[in-house]
Amino acid sequence: MGASPDRRVKIQVKNLTKRFGDLLVLNNISFDVADGEFISIVGPTGCGKTTFLNTLTKLIPATEGSILIDGKEADPKTHNLAFVFQEPTCLPWRTVRDNVAFGMEVKGFPKDKLEERLEYILKLVGLSDCANLYPNQISASMVQRVAVARAFAVEPDLLLMDEPYGQLDVKLRYYLEDELIRLWETLKATVIFVTHNIEEAVYVAERILVLSNKPTTIKAEVHVDLPRPRSLVDPKFIEIRKKVTELIRWW
Amino acid sequence: MSNTIADEIVHHVKERQPLTIWSVLGNEYFLYCVSFISFLLIWHFIAAAGLLGLATPEATIKEMIRLMSVKLAGKNLFGHIWASSRRILIGFAIGAATGLPLGLFMALNRYVNAIVKPVFDLFKPMPPIAWISISILWFGIGEPSKVFIIVIGSFVPCVLNAYAGIRIIDPELYDVIRVLGGNRRQEIFYVSFPAALPALFAGIQISMSVAWTCVLAAELVSSRSGLGWIIIRGMKLTKPELVLGGMAVIAIVAWIFSAATSGIEKLLCPWKRGIKEL
Ligand SMILES: Nc1ncnc2c1ncn2[C@@H]1O[C@H](COP(=O)(O)OP(=O)(O)OP(=O)(O)O)[C@@H](O)[C@H]1O
Ligand SMILES: [Mg+2]
Repeated sequence: MGASPDRRVKIQVKNLTKRFGDLLVLNNISFDVADGEFISIVGPTGCGKTTFLNTLTKLIPATEGSILIDGKEADPKTHNLAFVFQEPTCLPWRTVRDNVAFGMEVKGFPKDKLEERLEYILKLVGLSDCANLYPNQISASMVQRVAVARAFAVEPDLLLMDEPYGQLDVKLRYYLEDELIRLWETLKATVIFVTHNIEEAVYVAERILVLSNKPTTIKAEVHVDLPRPRSLVDPKFIEIRKKVTELIRWW
Repeated sequence: MSNTIADEIVHHVKERQPLTIWSVLGNEYFLYCVSFISFLLIWHFIAAAGLLGLATPEATIKEMIRLMSVKLAGKNLFGHIWASSRRILIGFAIGAATGLPLGLFMALNRYVNAIVKPVFDLFKPMPPIAWISISILWFGIGEPSKVFIIVIGSFVPCVLNAYAGIRIIDPELYDVIRVLGGNRRQEIFYVSFPAALPALFAGIQISMSVAWTCVLAAELVSSRSGLGWIIIRGMKLTKPELVLGGMAVIAIVAWIFSAATSGIEKLLCPWKRGIKEL
Protein backbone atom coordinates (compact mmCIF):
# COMPACT_ATOMS: atom_id res chain seq x y z
CA MET A 1 0.00 0.00 0.00
CA GLY A 2 1.94 3.02 -1.17
CA ALA A 3 1.88 6.73 -0.69
CA SER A 4 1.50 8.97 -3.73
CA PRO A 5 4.48 8.34 -6.01
CA ASP A 6 5.64 11.93 -6.29
CA ARG A 7 6.53 12.19 -2.57
CA ARG A 8 9.58 10.87 -0.77
CA VAL A 9 8.92 7.85 1.40
CA LYS A 10 9.40 8.59 5.09
CA ILE A 11 8.32 5.41 6.80
CA GLN A 12 8.39 1.90 5.39
CA VAL A 13 6.59 -0.79 7.31
CA LYS A 14 7.65 -4.16 5.93
CA ASN A 15 5.92 -7.42 6.81
CA LEU A 16 5.39 -6.31 10.37
CA THR A 17 4.18 -9.11 12.62
CA LYS A 18 3.66 -8.93 16.36
CA ARG A 19 2.71 -11.81 18.61
CA PHE A 20 2.16 -11.75 22.35
CA GLY A 21 2.80 -15.40 23.14
CA ASP A 22 0.23 -17.27 21.07
CA LEU A 23 -1.84 -14.17 20.39
CA LEU A 24 -1.20 -12.93 16.86
CA VAL A 25 -1.92 -9.21 16.90
CA LEU A 26 -0.31 -7.66 13.82
CA ASN A 27 -0.39 -10.02 10.88
CA ASN A 28 2.20 -9.27 8.22
CA ILE A 29 1.39 -5.60 7.72
CA SER A 30 3.15 -3.55 5.06
CA PHE A 31 2.64 0.06 4.07
CA ASP A 32 4.52 3.26 3.33
CA VAL A 33 4.04 6.75 4.63
CA ALA A 34 5.27 9.67 2.56
CA ASP A 35 7.35 12.46 4.01
CA GLY A 36 5.06 15.08 5.49
CA GLU A 37 1.97 12.94 5.06
CA PHE A 38 -0.92 13.01 7.52
CA ILE A 39 -2.22 9.48 8.08
CA SER A 40 -5.14 8.38 10.21
CA ILE A 41 -5.48 4.85 11.46
CA VAL A 42 -8.91 3.61 12.44
CA GLY A 43 -9.69 0.13 13.65
CA PRO A 44 -11.68 -1.85 16.17
CA THR A 45 -10.77 -1.88 19.84
CA GLY A 46 -7.96 -4.25 20.65
CA CYS A 47 -6.84 -4.66 17.04
CA GLY A 48 -3.33 -3.52 17.82
CA LYS A 49 -3.20 0.21 17.04
CA THR A 50 -1.33 1.01 20.24
CA THR A 51 0.84 -2.06 19.72
CA PHE A 52 1.78 -0.79 16.28
CA LEU A 53 2.83 2.61 17.58
CA ASN A 54 4.78 0.95 20.40
CA THR A 55 6.75 -1.20 17.96
CA LEU A 56 7.35 1.83 15.77
CA THR A 57 8.90 3.66 18.71
CA LYS A 58 10.86 0.64 19.94
CA LEU A 59 8.98 0.53 23.24
CA ILE A 60 8.29 -3.11 22.43
CA PRO A 61 10.13 -5.31 19.92
CA ALA A 62 8.49 -6.53 16.72
CA THR A 63 8.23 -10.30 16.29
CA GLU A 64 9.00 -10.17 12.59
CA GLY A 65 9.41 -7.55 9.92
CA SER A 66 10.88 -4.11 10.15
CA ILE A 67 10.01 -0.47 10.36
CA LEU A 68 12.31 1.94 8.58
CA ILE A 69 12.31 5.70 8.99
CA ASP A 70 14.25 7.51 6.26
CA GLY A 71 15.66 4.12 5.29
CA LYS A 72 17.06 3.41 8.75
CA GLU A 73 15.72 1.11 11.44
CA ALA A 74 13.27 3.17 13.53
CA ASP A 75 14.84 4.35 16.78
CA PRO A 76 13.84 7.26 19.02
CA LYS A 77 17.51 8.00 19.67
CA THR A 78 18.26 8.72 16.02
CA HIS A 79 14.90 10.04 14.82
CA ASN A 80 13.10 13.05 16.15
CA LEU A 81 9.84 11.48 17.30
CA ALA A 82 7.06 12.58 19.57
CA PHE A 83 4.32 10.37 20.92
CA VAL A 84 1.06 11.38 22.53
CA PHE A 85 -0.01 8.33 24.51
CA GLN A 86 -3.55 7.05 24.77
CA GLU A 87 -3.39 7.34 28.56
CA PRO A 88 -2.46 10.88 29.51
CA THR A 89 1.01 10.76 31.00
CA CYS A 90 2.46 13.68 32.86
CA LEU A 91 5.41 13.63 35.18
CA PRO A 92 3.73 14.35 38.53
CA TRP A 93 6.75 16.16 39.99
CA ARG A 94 6.92 18.72 37.21
CA THR A 95 4.64 21.71 36.83
CA VAL A 96 2.61 22.05 33.65
CA ARG A 97 5.30 24.38 32.29
CA ASP A 98 8.13 21.96 33.08
CA ASN A 99 6.17 19.04 31.69
CA VAL A 100 5.75 20.84 28.39
CA ALA A 101 9.45 21.73 28.43
CA PHE A 102 10.43 18.15 29.24
CA GLY A 103 10.86 16.87 25.68
CA MET A 104 12.91 19.91 24.73
CA GLU A 105 15.15 19.39 27.78
CA VAL A 106 15.70 15.72 26.96
CA LYS A 107 16.52 16.59 23.38
CA GLY A 108 18.91 19.31 24.54
CA PHE A 109 17.28 22.41 23.03
CA PRO A 110 19.36 25.55 23.65
CA LYS A 111 18.03 27.56 26.59
CA ASP A 112 16.79 30.65 24.77
CA LYS A 113 15.05 28.64 22.07
CA LEU A 114 13.47 26.45 24.73
CA GLU A 115 12.07 29.41 26.65
CA GLU A 116 10.74 31.11 23.55
CA ARG A 117 9.10 27.96 22.22
CA LEU A 118 7.72 27.07 25.64
CA GLU A 119 5.82 30.37 25.95
CA TYR A 120 4.52 30.00 22.40
CA ILE A 121 3.29 26.43 22.91
CA LEU A 122 1.74 27.14 26.30
CA LYS A 123 -0.26 29.94 24.77
CA LEU A 124 -1.16 27.83 21.75
CA VAL A 125 -2.80 25.06 23.75
CA GLY A 126 -4.15 27.43 26.39
CA LEU A 127 -2.07 26.34 29.34
CA SER A 128 -0.44 29.68 30.20
CA ASP A 129 -2.78 30.33 33.10
CA CYS A 130 -2.08 27.03 34.82
CA ALA A 131 1.59 26.79 33.86
CA ASN A 132 2.66 26.68 37.50
CA LEU A 133 0.18 24.07 38.68
CA TYR A 134 1.06 20.42 39.12
CA PRO A 135 -0.67 17.65 37.13
CA ASN A 136 -2.63 16.51 40.19
CA GLN A 137 -4.19 19.96 40.37
CA ILE A 138 -5.62 20.06 36.85
CA SER A 139 -8.39 18.13 35.16
CA ALA A 140 -7.84 14.99 33.07
CA SER A 141 -8.48 16.84 29.82
CA MET A 142 -5.89 19.45 30.77
CA VAL A 143 -3.38 16.70 31.47
CA GLN A 144 -3.96 15.42 27.95
CA ARG A 145 -3.43 18.93 26.61
CA VAL A 146 -0.08 18.96 28.40
CA ALA A 147 0.86 15.71 26.68
CA VAL A 148 -0.11 17.17 23.31
CA ALA A 149 1.83 20.36 24.02
CA ARG A 150 4.91 18.38 25.06
CA ALA A 151 4.80 16.49 21.75
CA PHE A 152 4.28 19.62 19.63
CA ALA A 153 7.07 21.43 21.44
CA VAL A 154 9.93 19.25 20.24
CA GLU A 155 9.25 20.07 16.57
CA PRO A 156 9.13 16.37 15.70
CA ASP A 157 9.48 15.21 12.15
CA LEU A 158 7.32 12.24 13.05
CA LEU A 159 4.38 12.83 15.35
CA LEU A 160 2.48 9.80 16.65
CA MET A 161 -0.85 10.33 18.34
CA ASP A 162 -2.86 7.56 19.96
CA GLU A 163 -6.46 8.72 20.30
CA PRO A 164 -5.14 11.98 21.70
CA TYR A 165 -8.44 13.84 21.82
CA GLY A 166 -10.67 11.07 23.12
CA GLN A 167 -10.84 12.61 26.57
CA LEU A 168 -11.43 16.18 25.51
CA ASP A 169 -14.73 17.98 25.10
CA VAL A 170 -15.98 18.63 21.57
CA LYS A 171 -15.17 22.32 21.50
CA LEU A 172 -11.60 21.84 22.56
CA ARG A 173 -11.25 18.87 20.25
CA TYR A 174 -12.25 20.94 17.19
CA TYR A 175 -9.88 23.66 18.26
CA LEU A 176 -6.95 21.29 18.74
CA GLU A 177 -7.68 19.45 15.50
CA ASP A 178 -7.31 22.74 13.66
CA GLU A 179 -4.19 23.50 15.68
CA LEU A 180 -2.76 20.12 14.77
CA ILE A 181 -3.37 20.74 11.08
CA ARG A 182 -1.84 24.19 11.31
CA LEU A 183 1.17 22.77 13.08
CA TRP A 184 1.49 19.99 10.55
CA GLU A 185 1.35 22.50 7.71
CA THR A 186 3.98 24.78 9.25
CA LEU A 187 6.33 22.10 10.62
CA LYS A 188 5.91 19.80 7.63
CA ALA A 189 5.89 16.92 10.09
CA THR A 190 4.71 13.43 9.25
CA VAL A 191 1.75 12.56 11.43
CA ILE A 192 0.22 9.19 12.30
CA PHE A 193 -3.05 9.81 14.07
CA VAL A 194 -4.93 6.91 15.65
CA THR A 195 -8.60 7.52 16.39
CA HIS A 196 -11.95 5.88 16.93
CA ASN A 197 -13.77 8.87 15.59
CA ILE A 198 -14.42 8.57 11.86
CA GLU A 199 -15.44 12.17 11.44
CA GLU A 200 -12.20 13.23 13.12
CA ALA A 201 -10.18 10.95 10.85
CA VAL A 202 -11.76 12.36 7.71
CA TYR A 203 -11.36 15.90 8.99
CA VAL A 204 -7.63 15.74 9.67
CA ALA A 205 -6.11 13.05 7.42
CA GLU A 206 -4.84 12.90 3.88
CA ARG A 207 -5.15 9.13 3.92
CA ILE A 208 -7.02 6.79 6.23
CA LEU A 209 -5.92 3.23 6.91
CA VAL A 210 -8.76 1.00 8.05
CA LEU A 211 -7.61 -1.98 10.09
CA SER A 212 -9.37 -5.32 10.42
CA ASN A 213 -10.06 -7.34 13.55
CA LYS A 214 -7.32 -9.49 15.02
CA PRO A 215 -5.18 -10.92 13.51
CA THR A 216 -4.89 -7.44 12.12
CA THR A 217 -4.25 -6.50 8.51
CA ILE A 218 -4.93 -3.32 6.62
CA LYS A 219 -8.41 -3.76 5.31
CA ALA A 220 -8.65 -0.69 3.15
CA GLU A 221 -7.13 2.67 2.54
CA VAL A 222 -9.13 5.79 1.78
CA HIS A 223 -7.63 8.93 0.27
CA VAL A 224 -9.17 12.15 1.47
CA ASP A 225 -8.32 14.78 -1.12
CA LEU A 226 -10.55 17.55 0.14
CA PRO A 227 -9.27 21.12 0.31
CA ARG A 228 -8.62 22.69 3.71
CA PRO A 229 -10.15 24.08 5.81
CA ARG A 230 -12.61 21.23 5.54
CA SER A 231 -16.25 21.53 6.32
CA LEU A 232 -18.10 18.84 8.21
CA VAL A 233 -21.23 19.45 6.14
CA ASP A 234 -19.59 19.52 2.71
CA PRO A 235 -21.37 16.76 0.67
CA LYS A 236 -18.01 15.34 -0.42
CA PHE A 237 -16.89 15.19 3.20
CA ILE A 238 -20.06 13.36 4.16
CA GLU A 239 -19.62 10.97 1.27
CA ILE A 240 -16.11 9.99 2.43
CA ARG A 241 -17.26 9.72 6.00
CA LYS A 242 -20.02 7.35 4.93
CA LYS A 243 -17.59 5.31 2.89
CA VAL A 244 -15.30 4.79 5.89
CA THR A 245 -18.27 4.04 8.15
CA GLU A 246 -19.42 1.45 5.62
CA LEU A 247 -15.97 -0.18 5.67
CA ILE A 248 -16.04 -0.27 9.42
CA ARG A 249 -19.48 -1.87 9.53
CA TRP A 250 -17.94 -4.86 7.83
CA TRP A 251 -15.77 -5.61 10.83
CA MET B 1 -5.56 34.50 15.90
CA SER B 2 -7.81 34.52 18.88
CA ASN B 3 -7.31 32.00 21.64
CA THR B 4 -10.66 32.30 23.30
CA ILE B 5 -11.42 28.59 23.50
CA ALA B 6 -7.94 27.65 24.57
CA ASP B 7 -7.88 30.32 27.23
CA GLU B 8 -10.82 28.83 29.06
CA ILE B 9 -9.55 27.45 32.28
CA VAL B 10 -10.86 25.77 35.35
CA HIS B 11 -10.84 28.12 38.30
CA HIS B 12 -10.45 26.77 41.74
CA VAL B 13 -12.55 28.94 44.00
CA LYS B 14 -12.62 28.05 47.63
CA GLU B 15 -16.03 28.49 49.12
CA ARG B 16 -16.08 30.38 52.39
CA GLN B 17 -18.09 28.77 55.13
CA PRO B 18 -20.11 31.06 57.37
CA LEU B 19 -18.94 31.11 61.00
CA THR B 20 -21.44 29.20 63.13
CA ILE B 21 -21.23 27.40 66.43
CA TRP B 22 -21.14 24.09 64.54
CA SER B 23 -18.36 25.18 62.23
CA VAL B 24 -16.29 26.14 65.31
CA LEU B 25 -17.07 22.89 67.12
CA GLY B 26 -16.33 20.86 64.00
CA ASN B 27 -13.10 22.73 63.23
CA GLU B 28 -10.19 20.31 63.35
CA TYR B 29 -7.88 22.66 65.26
CA PHE B 30 -10.54 23.14 67.89
CA LEU B 31 -10.85 19.36 68.16
CA TYR B 32 -7.07 19.05 68.49
CA CYS B 33 -7.23 21.32 71.53
CA VAL B 34 -10.14 19.35 73.00
CA SER B 35 -8.21 16.14 72.58
CA PHE B 36 -5.03 17.53 74.14
CA ILE B 37 -6.74 19.19 77.10
CA SER B 38 -8.79 16.07 77.90
CA PHE B 39 -5.58 14.05 77.85
CA LEU B 40 -3.92 16.41 80.37
CA LEU B 41 -7.03 16.42 82.58
CA ILE B 42 -7.31 12.62 82.69
CA TRP B 43 -3.59 12.37 83.44
CA HIS B 44 -3.96 14.98 86.18
CA PHE B 45 -6.86 13.22 87.91
CA ILE B 46 -5.23 9.79 87.78
CA ALA B 47 -2.00 11.21 89.24
CA ALA B 48 -3.74 13.37 91.85
CA ALA B 49 -5.70 10.31 93.01
CA GLY B 50 -2.37 8.61 93.63
CA LEU B 51 -3.05 5.90 91.07
CA LEU B 52 -0.48 4.14 88.85
CA GLY B 53 2.43 5.91 90.57
CA LEU B 54 2.24 8.89 88.21
CA ALA B 55 3.31 12.45 88.83
CA THR B 56 0.87 15.21 87.89
CA PRO B 57 1.42 17.17 84.68
CA GLU B 58 2.20 20.29 86.77
CA ALA B 59 4.89 18.46 88.78
CA THR B 60 6.36 17.06 85.60
CA ILE B 61 6.50 20.43 83.88
CA LYS B 62 7.98 22.06 87.00
CA GLU B 63 10.65 19.40 87.18
CA MET B 64 11.60 19.98 83.56
CA ILE B 65 11.74 23.74 84.07
CA ARG B 66 13.98 23.15 87.11
CA LEU B 67 16.28 20.99 84.99
CA MET B 68 16.72 23.78 82.50
CA SER B 69 18.93 25.55 85.05
CA VAL B 70 19.98 22.80 87.48
CA LYS B 71 22.65 20.45 86.20
CA LEU B 72 22.23 16.69 86.33
CA ALA B 73 25.50 14.83 85.83
CA GLY B 74 27.13 18.01 84.56
CA LYS B 75 24.46 18.90 82.00
CA ASN B 76 21.22 20.86 82.16
CA LEU B 77 18.13 19.69 80.23
CA PHE B 78 19.29 21.25 76.97
CA GLY B 79 22.64 19.55 77.36
CA HIS B 80 20.91 16.18 77.63
CA ILE B 81 18.62 16.93 74.70
CA TRP B 82 21.68 17.81 72.64
CA ALA B 83 23.51 14.67 73.79
CA SER B 84 20.71 12.46 72.45
CA SER B 85 20.09 14.57 69.36
CA ARG B 86 23.75 14.61 68.42
CA ARG B 87 23.94 10.82 68.54
CA ILE B 88 20.84 10.60 66.39
CA LEU B 89 21.99 13.16 63.88
CA ILE B 90 25.41 11.55 63.43
CA GLY B 91 24.10 7.99 63.36
CA PHE B 92 21.18 8.85 61.12
CA ALA B 93 23.34 10.87 58.75
CA ILE B 94 25.74 7.94 58.31
CA GLY B 95 22.88 5.44 57.98
CA ALA B 96 20.98 7.50 55.42
CA ALA B 97 24.07 8.54 53.48
CA THR B 98 24.95 4.88 52.94
CA GLY B 99 21.48 3.29 52.97
CA LEU B 100 19.71 5.55 50.45
CA PRO B 101 22.37 5.25 47.72
CA LEU B 102 22.67 1.52 48.31
CA GLY B 103 18.90 1.07 47.94
CA LEU B 104 18.91 3.17 44.77
CA PHE B 105 21.81 1.20 43.31
CA MET B 106 20.15 -2.10 44.14
CA ALA B 107 16.96 -1.04 42.39
CA LEU B 108 18.71 0.39 39.33
CA ASN B 109 21.33 -2.29 38.75
CA ARG B 110 20.52 -5.96 38.91
CA TYR B 111 24.13 -7.02 39.48
CA VAL B 112 24.41 -4.86 42.57
CA ASN B 113 21.05 -6.23 43.63
CA ALA B 114 22.08 -9.85 43.11
CA ILE B 115 25.22 -9.38 45.18
CA VAL B 116 23.83 -7.31 48.04
CA LYS B 117 20.29 -8.59 48.46
CA PRO B 118 20.93 -12.06 49.95
CA VAL B 119 23.15 -10.68 52.73
CA PHE B 120 20.89 -7.72 53.30
CA ASP B 121 17.82 -9.96 53.57
CA LEU B 122 19.64 -12.01 56.17
CA PHE B 123 20.28 -9.00 58.42
CA LYS B 124 17.07 -7.11 57.64
CA PRO B 125 14.74 -8.78 60.17
CA MET B 126 17.25 -8.48 63.01
CA PRO B 127 16.21 -5.75 65.49
CA PRO B 128 18.99 -3.13 65.66
CA ILE B 129 19.06 -3.38 69.45
CA ALA B 130 20.33 -6.95 69.09
CA TRP B 131 23.61 -5.32 68.08
CA ILE B 132 24.15 -3.63 71.45
CA SER B 133 26.53 -6.18 72.98
CA ILE B 134 28.57 -6.55 69.82
CA SER B 135 28.67 -2.80 69.51
CA ILE B 136 30.02 -2.37 73.04
CA LEU B 137 32.47 -5.18 72.41
CA TRP B 138 33.77 -3.44 69.29
CA PHE B 139 33.57 0.21 70.27
CA GLY B 140 33.56 0.26 74.08
CA ILE B 141 30.94 2.11 76.10
CA GLY B 142 31.64 5.58 74.65
CA GLU B 143 29.81 7.52 71.95
CA PRO B 144 30.82 5.36 68.94
CA SER B 145 28.97 2.28 70.20
CA LYS B 146 25.72 4.28 70.61
CA VAL B 147 26.10 5.88 67.22
CA PHE B 148 26.78 2.47 65.70
CA ILE B 149 23.40 1.11 66.85
CA ILE B 150 21.67 4.13 65.34
CA VAL B 151 23.56 3.69 62.07
CA ILE B 152 22.38 0.10 61.86
CA GLY B 153 18.83 1.04 62.81
CA SER B 154 18.43 3.85 60.29
CA PHE B 155 20.33 2.10 57.50
CA VAL B 156 17.75 -0.67 56.96
CA PRO B 157 14.59 1.43 56.39
CA CYS B 158 16.57 3.77 54.13
CA VAL B 159 17.69 0.88 51.92
CA LEU B 160 14.22 -0.66 51.80
CA ASN B 161 12.39 2.54 50.94
CA ALA B 162 14.91 3.73 48.37
CA TYR B 163 14.70 0.32 46.71
CA ALA B 164 10.89 0.25 46.76
CA GLY B 165 10.72 3.88 45.63
CA ILE B 166 12.45 3.02 42.36
CA ARG B 167 10.69 -0.30 41.85
CA ILE B 168 7.16 1.09 42.10
CA ILE B 169 7.68 3.75 39.42
CA ASP B 170 4.98 3.53 36.78
CA PRO B 171 6.68 2.08 33.65
CA GLU B 172 4.71 4.50 31.48
CA LEU B 173 6.76 7.34 32.89
CA TYR B 174 9.84 5.72 31.37
CA ASP B 175 8.00 5.40 28.04
CA VAL B 176 7.60 9.17 27.99
CA ILE B 177 11.34 9.74 28.06
CA ARG B 178 12.24 6.75 25.86
CA VAL B 179 10.18 7.90 22.89
CA LEU B 180 11.84 11.28 23.20
CA GLY B 181 15.17 9.54 22.70
CA GLY B 182 16.40 9.81 26.29
CA ASN B 183 19.38 7.66 27.26
CA ARG B 184 19.77 5.58 30.41
CA ARG B 185 21.45 8.39 32.32
CA GLN B 186 18.58 10.76 31.47
CA GLU B 187 16.06 8.09 32.48
CA ILE B 188 17.70 7.90 35.89
CA PHE B 189 18.07 11.63 36.49
CA TYR B 190 14.86 12.85 34.86
CA VAL B 191 12.54 10.04 35.97
CA SER B 192 13.89 7.57 38.54
CA PHE B 193 15.26 10.03 41.08
CA PRO B 194 12.44 12.57 41.18
CA ALA B 195 9.83 9.81 41.14
CA ALA B 196 11.52 8.05 44.07
CA LEU B 197 11.98 11.19 46.16
CA PRO B 198 8.76 10.85 48.21
CA ALA B 199 9.68 7.24 49.01
CA LEU B 200 13.12 8.39 50.17
CA PHE B 201 11.45 10.75 52.59
CA ALA B 202 9.18 7.97 53.84
CA GLY B 203 12.35 5.98 54.54
CA ILE B 204 13.92 8.92 56.32
CA GLN B 205 10.86 9.32 58.53
CA ILE B 206 10.91 5.66 59.54
CA SER B 207 14.67 5.83 60.11
CA MET B 208 14.20 8.78 62.42
CA SER B 209 11.78 6.95 64.63
CA VAL B 210 13.94 3.83 64.65
CA ALA B 211 16.89 6.07 65.55
CA TRP B 212 15.02 7.33 68.61
CA THR B 213 14.33 3.79 69.75
CA CYS B 214 17.99 2.94 69.28
CA VAL B 215 19.35 5.97 71.11
CA LEU B 216 17.10 5.30 74.09
CA ALA B 217 18.08 1.65 74.23
CA ALA B 218 21.75 2.58 74.06
CA GLU B 219 21.38 5.22 76.76
CA LEU B 220 19.43 2.90 79.01
CA VAL B 221 22.23 0.36 78.80
CA SER B 222 25.24 2.55 79.38
CA SER B 223 25.41 6.29 79.50
CA ARG B 224 25.91 9.37 81.66
CA SER B 225 23.92 11.71 79.45
CA GLY B 226 20.93 11.91 77.19
CA LEU B 227 17.17 11.70 77.59
CA GLY B 228 17.22 7.92 78.03
CA TRP B 229 19.61 8.39 80.90
CA ILE B 230 17.27 10.98 82.52
CA ILE B 231 14.53 8.34 82.53
CA ILE B 232 16.82 5.73 84.13
CA ARG B 233 17.92 8.33 86.64
CA GLY B 234 14.28 9.08 87.55
CA MET B 235 13.66 5.37 87.97
CA LYS B 236 16.65 4.89 90.25
CA LEU B 237 15.70 7.90 92.38
CA THR B 238 12.00 6.92 92.28
CA LYS B 239 11.12 10.34 90.93
CA PRO B 240 8.14 9.77 88.60
CA GLU B 241 8.18 13.42 87.51
CA LEU B 242 11.69 12.89 86.14
CA VAL B 243 10.65 9.73 84.27
CA LEU B 244 7.52 11.33 82.82
CA GLY B 245 9.38 14.55 82.07
CA GLY B 246 12.04 12.61 80.18
CA MET B 247 9.34 10.83 78.21
CA ALA B 248 7.51 14.06 77.41
CA VAL B 249 10.69 15.78 76.26
CA ILE B 250 11.53 12.81 74.01
CA ALA B 251 8.07 13.01 72.49
CA ILE B 252 8.47 16.72 71.82
CA VAL B 253 12.00 16.51 70.39
CA ALA B 254 11.15 13.47 68.26
CA TRP B 255 8.10 15.33 66.98
CA ILE B 256 10.26 18.32 66.06
CA PHE B 257 12.63 16.06 64.13
CA SER B 258 9.76 14.49 62.27
CA ALA B 259 8.09 17.84 61.57
CA ALA B 260 11.38 19.24 60.28
CA THR B 261 11.69 16.27 57.92
CA SER B 262 8.13 16.81 56.69
CA GLY B 263 8.94 20.47 56.18
CA ILE B 264 11.95 19.64 54.05
CA GLU B 265 9.90 17.10 52.14
CA LYS B 266 7.27 19.71 51.37
CA LEU B 267 9.96 22.03 50.09
CA LEU B 268 11.57 19.38 47.90
CA CYS B 269 8.38 17.62 46.78
CA PRO B 270 5.98 20.51 46.22
CA TRP B 271 3.75 18.39 43.98
CA LYS B 272 2.76 16.34 47.02
CA ARG B 273 1.04 19.36 48.53
CA GLY B 274 -2.67 19.59 47.94
CA ILE B 275 -4.43 22.56 46.40
CA LYS B 276 -5.41 23.56 49.92
CA GLU B 277 -1.84 24.15 51.02
CA LEU B 278 -0.65 26.04 47.95
N1 LIG C 1 1.94 -6.50 26.71
C1 LIG C 1 0.96 -7.27 26.21
N2 LIG C 1 0.93 -8.60 26.48
C2 LIG C 1 -0.04 -9.39 25.96
N3 LIG C 1 -1.03 -8.95 25.17
C3 LIG C 1 -1.05 -7.65 24.86
C4 LIG C 1 -0.06 -6.75 25.37
N4 LIG C 1 -0.34 -5.51 24.89
C5 LIG C 1 -1.44 -5.64 24.14
N5 LIG C 1 -1.87 -6.92 24.11
C6 LIG C 1 -3.02 -7.43 23.35
O1 LIG C 1 -2.86 -7.04 22.02
C7 LIG C 1 -4.09 -6.62 21.46
C8 LIG C 1 -3.93 -5.23 20.88
O2 LIG C 1 -3.83 -4.28 21.93
P1 LIG C 1 -3.71 -2.74 21.63
O3 LIG C 1 -3.62 -2.05 22.93
O4 LIG C 1 -2.62 -2.51 20.67
O5 LIG C 1 -5.11 -2.43 20.96
P2 LIG C 1 -5.68 -1.04 20.43
O6 LIG C 1 -5.99 -1.22 18.99
O7 LIG C 1 -4.77 0.06 20.79
O8 LIG C 1 -7.04 -0.95 21.23
P3 LIG C 1 -7.81 0.36 21.75
O9 LIG C 1 -8.59 0.86 20.59
O10 LIG C 1 -8.71 -0.16 22.81
O11 LIG C 1 -6.81 1.32 22.26
C9 LIG C 1 -5.12 -6.72 22.56
O12 LIG C 1 -5.85 -7.90 22.36
C10 LIG C 1 -4.32 -6.80 23.82
O13 LIG C 1 -4.97 -7.62 24.75
MG1 LIG D 1 -4.90 1.66 22.05
